[in-house]
Amino acid sequence: CVGINLRYRFHVSLLCKLVSCFGDRAGQFFSSGHTNNWAVLVCTSRFWFNYRHVANTLSVYRSVKRLGIPDSHIVLMLADDMACNHRNPKPATVFSHKNMELNVYGDDVEVDYRGYEVTVENFLRILTGRLPPSTPRSKRLLSDDRSNILIYLTGHGGNGFLKFQDSEEISNVELADAFEQMWQKRRYNELLFIIDTCQGASMYERFYSPNLMALASSQVGEDSLSHQPDLAIGVHLMDRYTFYLLEFLEDIHPASKTNMNDLFKVCPKSQCVSTPGHRTDLFLRDPGSVLITDFFGSVRKVELTMETINLTDPIDAESGELQKEMHTYADQLPVSEIIHQKPKQKDWHPPDGFILGLWTLILLVFFQTYGVKHLKHIF
Amino acid sequence: MAAPLTLLLLVAVTVRAALFRSSLSELISERVEVVSPLTAWKRVIEGLALLDLGVSPYSGDVFHETPLTIYLFHFLVDYAEVTFMVSVAGSSVVVTYLILFQFRKQKFALEADRYPLDCLELIRSPKEMYYIPLKVAMFYLLNPFTILSCVAKSTCGLNNAIIALFILSTIKGNVLLSAIFLSLATYQSIYPLTLCAPALLYLMQRQYIPVNFRRASFWWFIVQYAFMYLGSLFVIICLSFFLLGSWDYLPSVYGFILSVPDLTPNIGLFWYFFAEMFEHFRLFFLCVFQINVFFYTIPLSIKLKEHPVFLIFMQLAVISIFKSYPTVGDISLYMAFLPVWSHLHRFLRNIFLVSCVLLACSALFPVLWHLWIYAGSANSNFYYAITLLFNVAQILLVSDYFYAFLRREHHLTYGLYLKRKDGSEATLVLK
Repeated sequence: CVGINLRYRFHVSLLCKLVSCFGDRAGQFFSSGHTNNWAVLVCTSRFWFNYRHVANTLSVYRSVKRLGIPDSHIVLMLADDMACNHRNPKPATVFSHKNMELNVYGDDVEVDYRGYEVTVENFLRILTGRLPPSTPRSKRLLSDDRSNILIYLTGHGGNGFLKFQDSEEISNVELADAFEQMWQKRRYNELLFIIDTCQGASMYERFYSPNLMALASSQVGEDSLSHQPDLAIGVHLMDRYTFYLLEFLEDIHPASKTNMNDLFKVCPKSQCVSTPGHRTDLFLRDPGSVLITDFFGSVRKVELTMETINLTDPIDAESGELQKEMHTYADQLPVSEIIHQKPKQKDWHPPDGFILGLWTLILLVFFQTYGVKHLKHIF
Repeated sequence: MAAPLTLLLLVAVTVRAALFRSSLSELISERVEVVSPLTAWKRVIEGLALLDLGVSPYSGDVFHETPLTIYLFHFLVDYAEVTFMVSVAGSSVVVTYLILFQFRKQKFALEADRYPLDCLELIRSPKEMYYIPLKVAMFYLLNPFTILSCVAKSTCGLNNAIIALFILSTIKGNVLLSAIFLSLATYQSIYPLTLCAPALLYLMQRQYIPVNFRRASFWWFIVQYAFMYLGSLFVIICLSFFLLGSWDYLPSVYGFILSVPDLTPNIGLFWYFFAEMFEHFRLFFLCVFQINVFFYTIPLSIKLKEHPVFLIFMQLAVISIFKSYPTVGDISLYMAFLPVWSHLHRFLRNIFLVSCVLLACSALFPVLWHLWIYAGSANSNFYYAITLLFNVAQILLVSDYFYAFLRREHHLTYGLYLKRKDGSEATLVLK
């Protein structure tokens, strides 16, 4: 990726001349600057009556996967298992439309963090990358400075916080600091943050890192409402904002040119009773030039070049061996001594004065009681 | 007497050796009823390991043995099993010998003249008494409690050996040795201090010093004994100081015994109370509980001043029940003396109840422990209930023997079959 990037800079001037006839579209083609896409989709509520939050997350997952982001680049965190919940009358399904039109669970859903693994700590560790070395790749956000990340949170929230698992919460300050850490560690190129909770706009008002765009389903003081319930399943299937977001995304395909301004118009107040909000002041590009697929899809860039490139000569086998020898592992600790260490000699001995005193006393007592000449009476 | 004793020793050693080699030994050495924080072998090894690493073994709350124990085990740690078996065998031999010695003193004819005629059946004949030392040795060696305590390598066995030696030297009449062994026993755990009183009474009886507060000889003897006892205690404590060069062991050993900071469940009464009481009452209850151990000395010694051997038994029982970290090893010591008072059987009233309760509780201890700790379906109340019941049974046993002893004394003085003035049979009413 890095090589392509350098060459991109090198060739953009040439290509711009070459494709000047394409004009605007070429500029747009290279305008985003990202080379890979990641998505972190989190549902923070458990229990059966929060079915809709799981359905929300799975709908976004479905859209994101359909638009090209592979499972290896999606971190899906679901706090509860609705598909196999014993109250689910249709097991192994999670529906997003009433009348069960759309099963967002399907056969190929890969949940990375499930159940009680969805905690504030794990979420922050994913974002900042501070995971124990034993964490598998599927549970890591392996983004770099050319990644565009979509972060989608849903659950129950309030003014300045989002509740995780009914027992803890993440505050907007923590989230903003996590994003700042990501920026300082160059873990994202651009980040789109969508939140569908009550008073969701409070979660993005503390952001201060560059290249963040945020969308929320409701303003501070407003509740995000759920869409219609399904009488057969018995719970509300989706939240309004995500319902209309899903409807909007169903029309997007990998080559579509819809931009963010269209996304901001999703779910006006007439449809969602709450007022959706967005924040773009930290974003360096104009939202009108940001494609939906920059975040929701995984568009691979193909670069055409007419030049031939000469690769360097292959490395010789001999110099390869030399190189191998240079890379020997030097023991930091005297490993052989530690492994084969003999048990430590018993170093401690009682002081001589003690032994002397003790045995003198014992002998004194012995002779005092028995006396040398009385010994034969004892035996 | 030597041959049956040897046979008994062989059997006991075989049983213990078999258990040492089996997989049960680890299981037993972790049971809280058998080992306490004071006597656990694991802690002894830990302390010695700390010492080898150059750290004081008393740092941290691991090791609560006295420095002389460190000295002993420093050389014997590889032969621990043998040491404990030897100490158990030794204490049983000692106990046998002392009972034998005690009985030799009692002459049948002399006693028979002192008592009313119908009490002859209360007096033991030498024939009956012949097998009692062997029975005592058997009670001590083959008692499951002793076996468990020995297999767990609890240092309780050593404490018992020292107390047995103390009783032996008291009964032999050797004032100096008695004082020295008593100070050693007190040095190991503080509670044998209460055995001073019976030792004094016995020695004074032997030396025909009347127990009378106004007599000078009484006080002089007490001063002598106290001087020897305190002197040897002082010498032992100073010697312990020179072993490690610090006074660390005083708060670790004696502070630990007296202030009971470790509330691991055991068969005693302290842990549950102190786990649930508020901090500002802790000192008060600590004082109450500790005084409880020492409290029975004076009344009992006033009542039993002519019978110091029985007083030793009572005191040992009181110590084992009310001490801060009792284990089954302590119980086995006083239970070993029960055959000595086999002539009291006709006056014991609760023996069936007591034995049933003791057996049931001993069986229930591991069950409720498992239910509490592993299965999680019981809680500490269950275990403490069994502890309480066990201690109540022990107290009942001890008080029953006390009652039987006093009743026998009463009958010896006033006759066995009491008759009223008109000749009809009288009944004895306990008010």
